[in-house]
Amino acid sequence: MAAQNISSLSSPLRTFSSLRPGVSPSYRFTNFLFCSNLRPSLPFSSVILKPLRAARFRPLAVSAALKNLSESDLVAVPTDLQEVTVNFPSESGVYAVYDNNNDLQFIGISRNIAASVSGHRNSLPELCHYVKVGVVEEPDRSALTQAWKSWMEEHLRTTGNVPPGNQSGNSMWVPARQPATPRKKPDLRLTPGRHVQLTVPLEDLIHRLVKENRVVAFIKGSRSAPLCGFSQRVVGILESQEVDYESVDVLDEEYNYGLRETLKRYSNWPTFPQVFVDGELVGGCDILTSMHEKGELADLLKK
Amino acid sequence: MGVTKEMVESSLTLKMNPSHLEVIDTSGGCGASFVVEIVSPQFEGKRLLERHRMVNAALENEMKQIHALSIRKALTPEQWTQQRVSKS
Repeated sequence: MAAQNISSLSSPLRTFSSLRPGVSPSYRFTNFLFCSNLRPSLPFSSVILKPLRAARFRPLAVSAALKNLSESDLVAVPTDLQEVTVNFPSESGVYAVYDNNNDLQFIGISRNIAASVSGHRNSLPELCHYVKVGVVEEPDRSALTQAWKSWMEEHLRTTGNVPPGNQSGNSMWVPARQPATPRKKPDLRLTPGRHVQLTVPLEDLIHRLVKENRVVAFIKGSRSAPLCGFSQRVVGILESQEVDYESVDVLDEEYNYGLRETLKRYSNWPTFPQVFVDGELVGGCDILTSMHEKGELADLLKK
Repeated sequence: MGVTKEMVESSLTLKMNPSHLEVIDTSGGCGASFVVEIVSPQFEGKRLLERHRMVNAALENEMKQIHALSIRKALTPEQWTQQRVSKS
């Protein structure tokens, strides 16, 4: 029974997660919030058009700081990739790529705009001649997504078209390893649901989970949208190590009900996030950060 | 009323016998968030995790009300001296 609990962690929601890798989960979530008639089986073209209507009911938080797409300056991409960082900021934000004819090819978000532009120029030199940049202040995931949405919607309003690079099935612009829109594993769930009676203690499920998976991060929020700065940093560190890890959302009251208190007791550690390697608690954010900076984490994960 | 910087300092001083201690209240006054730098001979031969556990244990009572405790440094006096030498 316990084995079933762990192995049956998937849920119907995962179907939605795999709907379209280029669109972030929070964006999709908005669709579901505002469009009760939307079914997951609808093609992408219908999905993308829906938020236009939704946006009218919602103040655009970013619009105050972020310039419109049309107002932003077109900056030429230098031929020498070394100079990309001179023309473009290494900060987080939204960017729009234009080809030689000033046709918009792609709108993306990035944690490092200069690096993303450089990558596009490298992989698609013929389509990447000019770039417009909108740096997002306080770039949490929702702010970035909001910025991306506002530019996408503006372009849709004015042209009626989704940029070619953002269209469904076009994977030229979003390689597997692009920090802005990574394809993330789903978070693990400890129980089949809050109202299902467990036949084994929650401690046992935790114990099994950390023994069966080499690296497990218990975080607040999901790995694609951590809800706490410390959890976000831990996810960032693990991603930068390129290690295969599992994540568990301790705030999930449906599938991980009671986990916070039980895990604190299990690990004798008072706070979250908590990272386990080989079944042993390594520590929280401070410890992971410190080990990461000293290179000790890489050594530990390499073993 | 929440925990004060002084309460954190006195608990740590009492239980950890630190040779250097810096407590910064990062909560903006509500006493729920602190950053700690601590140097203590008790850390000798202990892993970072164990050191953090010791600090957490020393602050057991305060932790009930603290939301975020960030232990920026937990060093032995020897490591502390080394760090300062390499920085200057």
